[in-house]
Amino acid sequence: MKSFARRFYLFLIVLFLYMPIFVLIVASFNDSKILGTWKGFTLHWYRDFFENATMMNALRTTLVIALLSATIATVLGTLACMTMAKMKKSTKNIIVGITNIPMLNAEIVTALAFMLLFIGLGVSLSFSTVLIAHVTFCIPYVVLNVLPKVQQMDSNMYEAALDLGATPIQAFFLVTVPEIMPGILSGFLMSFTMSIDDFIITHFTRGSGINTLSTMIYTEVRKGIKPEMYALSTLLFVTVFILLFLVNYGPKSKSTKKHKSLTQLMFKNKYTIAVSVCVVIIVGIFGYQLLKDDKEYIGDVYVYNWGEYIDPEVIELFEEETGYKVHYEEFETNEEMFTIVDKKARVYDVICPSDYMIEKMLENDLLTEINFDNIPNLEHIGKQYLESAKGFDPENKYCVPYCWGTVGICYNKNMVNEEVNSWSILFDEKYDGKILMQASVRDAYCVALSYLGYSINTLNEDELKEATDLLVSQKPIVQAYVVDQVRDKMIKNAAALAVIYSGEAIYMQEENDALEYVVPDEGSNVWIDGWVIPKDCQNKEAAEAWINFLCRPDIALMNFEYITYSTPNESARALIEDEDIKNSQIAFPDNSVLSRCEVYNYLGTEGDNLYDYYWTIVGGAESD
Amino acid sequence: MNKTVKKNALFASPYIVWIAAFIIIPLLFIVYYGFTDRAGNFTLENIKAIARPEYYEALALSLILAVISTIICLLLAYPLALILRNMNMSKQGFIVFIFILPMWMNFLLRTYAWQAILDINGVLDVFLAKFGITGFNIINTPAAIVLGMVYDYLPFMVLPIYNVLVKIDDNVINAARDLGANFWQTLFKIIIPLSKAGIASGIIMVFVPSLTTFVISDILGGGKLLLIGNIVENKVKADNLNLAAGLSLVLMIFIVINMVFSGNDESDSVKVKGGK
Repeated sequence: MKSFARRFYLFLIVLFLYMPIFVLIVASFNDSKILGTWKGFTLHWYRDFFENATMMNALRTTLVIALLSATIATVLGTLACMTMAKMKKSTKNIIVGITNIPMLNAEIVTALAFMLLFIGLGVSLSFSTVLIAHVTFCIPYVVLNVLPKVQQMDSNMYEAALDLGATPIQAFFLVTVPEIMPGILSGFLMSFTMSIDDFIITHFTRGSGINTLSTMIYTEVRKGIKPEMYALSTLLFVTVFILLFLVNYGPKSKSTKKHKSLTQLMFKNKYTIAVSVCVVIIVGIFGYQLLKDDKEYIGDVYVYNWGEYIDPEVIELFEEETGYKVHYEEFETNEEMFTIVDKKARVYDVICPSDYMIEKMLENDLLTEINFDNIPNLEHIGKQYLESAKGFDPENKYCVPYCWGTVGICYNKNMVNEEVNSWSILFDEKYDGKILMQASVRDAYCVALSYLGYSINTLNEDELKEATDLLVSQKPIVQAYVVDQVRDKMIKNAAALAVIYSGEAIYMQEENDALEYVVPDEGSNVWIDGWVIPKDCQNKEAAEAWINFLCRPDIALMNFEYITYSTPNESARALIEDEDIKNSQIAFPDNSVLSRCEVYNYLGTEGDNLYDYYWTIVGGAESD
Repeated sequence: MNKTVKKNALFASPYIVWIAAFIIIPLLFIVYYGFTDRAGNFTLENIKAIARPEYYEALALSLILAVISTIICLLLAYPLALILRNMNMSKQGFIVFIFILPMWMNFLLRTYAWQAILDINGVLDVFLAKFGITGFNIINTPAAIVLGMVYDYLPFMVLPIYNVLVKIDDNVINAARDLGANFWQTLFKIIIPLSKAGIASGIIMVFVPSLTTFVISDILGGGKLLLIGNIVENKVKADNLNLAAGLSLVLMIFIVINMVFSGNDESDSVKVKGGK
């Protein structure tokens, strides 16, 4: 009975630990893109994953970093342990104490410390910076595992080997290493696992063009993770599962106990298995890469764009047609992108910020003029959009519009039985717990300020205070402040009302026809995102080729159909076959809508801090 | 002998250089940024910022949630470690198997999966509805965040406790039993005191990450609950590195407290080993 209770408890814990993993594995066979909604069995995510070059690249980077950092950390750590074991206790404690800092310290503090170190020394973030950071946080795990083994070891054995004529190196490898091998091995394995699983530190130290699975997932979380990622994780998980299972429960030598040499042999075998599997995987991925890389190659272009803001096929077509290799990266907010570019932490050739951010970048002298001789396709961009762009780029010298749209309310007709035409509905307690707000400062204040009848660019403190009070009072009835999870939540009927960009609305209607989009009568924001070239760009011609390519009508159309954000490309709009979409008020609102909408302006550092100050008050307010 | 020590010091030198360059110096950068403003002038503003209600309330909430999840982890992990010890599973292999394996499924994905499980109309909701249970929605509440923390950091509590428990000699326990102690007496008078070191390092390993996470609160808290980690991250995103560094310094006070703790714990565990 008692043993039953024990087993039951163990079972419950294992269930708890493995439930989310089970959900993810199921999701990898699920036809629906949305996690937790079953639509039917499929294997196509597995096929897609092998064809997804970006994901393969991220997998390769992750494994290479893990392997290198675990190896370096193990070598450095083990050598240090050999000496530390012989040191005075106080000295040893100091060194161990320092070593353990990355393990005991908050990850975010360690990550920030690395970022400040590299930025402070003017070192561009790159592959090496990630590697350095990973080695550093892996070392404590090596020391933790190896030091006790070294201390337990009888130092007479090593001396005896020397006496018997072995050189110190022989003695080290033949006597010491086998003795402490279990510690080295578990140190290595733990380091490897920690490195693979790390997100925060990689996120803060990675260079342009470098993505591990973690950082890739993080950008995807916002827009809905691609199911290929579940497929990949399942494969990885199953591989390691089988591996560990074989190591632990595979055919063992019968007399494991007492016979030291046999145990050592086993450990050596484990080691061999682990290493050979890693080698096979990495060689496999490299080989795959070689097979794939038979395209003509004339140079690199580093692109920094919003998440889910391009049809991946467009990137492939561009590579095929021009011969440039595209290193494509995504950001989540304008501000995040600004920090990276301003601090020169990573260098990009072409970036796609929003209107007010382009203004800010211009004021900070971060952009270079585009040579429009290289962009003949500019003629396809509607004149009215270039006119609007003058709001932030007065002479149309720095920016080519890419997408535009409005901010409005998306609502579910089945849950909201009244006409929606005012922001006031977002403050109605009737919809307690069914409202989704945007997590970005400007969009949240756009709602409150428009509702109160103020300009969305106001710097008047009284108006901002009033808007802040309004947002604070709204907080208890808000279900969540989200960035891009709006899509999934609205499609799943998990909320009734949401603040959203017009481009998202079209996609969401395709998935759930109960959803409607409206730009409230009080007015709202109209925004333009455009391509710009930063001053420190390494390959301006490639950047211009990229912009020109995206302006080609057929390409702009492909993009529009994929991301569903309104295109300023008039020729592309003319090519749209579906009349409903071509004349959609959501995608291409008429002037009556646009005339009540305002563009965001750059508010200056003072203004930014003011908004940030009030937004933090909303963030800290009671939520119920 | 003295020569070997010197020679050995040579082995350690790359290591010493490494930890000085990549552990100590980055921390000095945090201190520098924390005590300066954007223009590089000395200021205390970044530290004083913690006195703003939005910040210290976030810190207080983080402390409360971290304490709760640490306690839950301890309560779940201790019996578990005891059970595992008594099962005499084929050594550490099994433990590694159970607790390290989930880490191979990316941490973000696992947390995201919890969101799918706990969400309104999510996996759990749909499942419970089959039994007529509705309204069990903890998503976007502190409870969901605590659940996420317990889930992610439980292994860090189980492993150190287990490691200490397996080192306790069976004879010690048997002796207590022979002398008439019942199960609870043995547990409280013998086993727990002998496993103090493991408990201490488990607490440290769970408390610090819980205190400073921003990913779990982001994904499971629906952006409604800001923890101190979220605030630091937001400051980095909002291009205010000095304030981020200042708040990190405040956070590090707790880490220093932990370091003192762990220093004691280390000498303790050495004693345990020495006594054996």
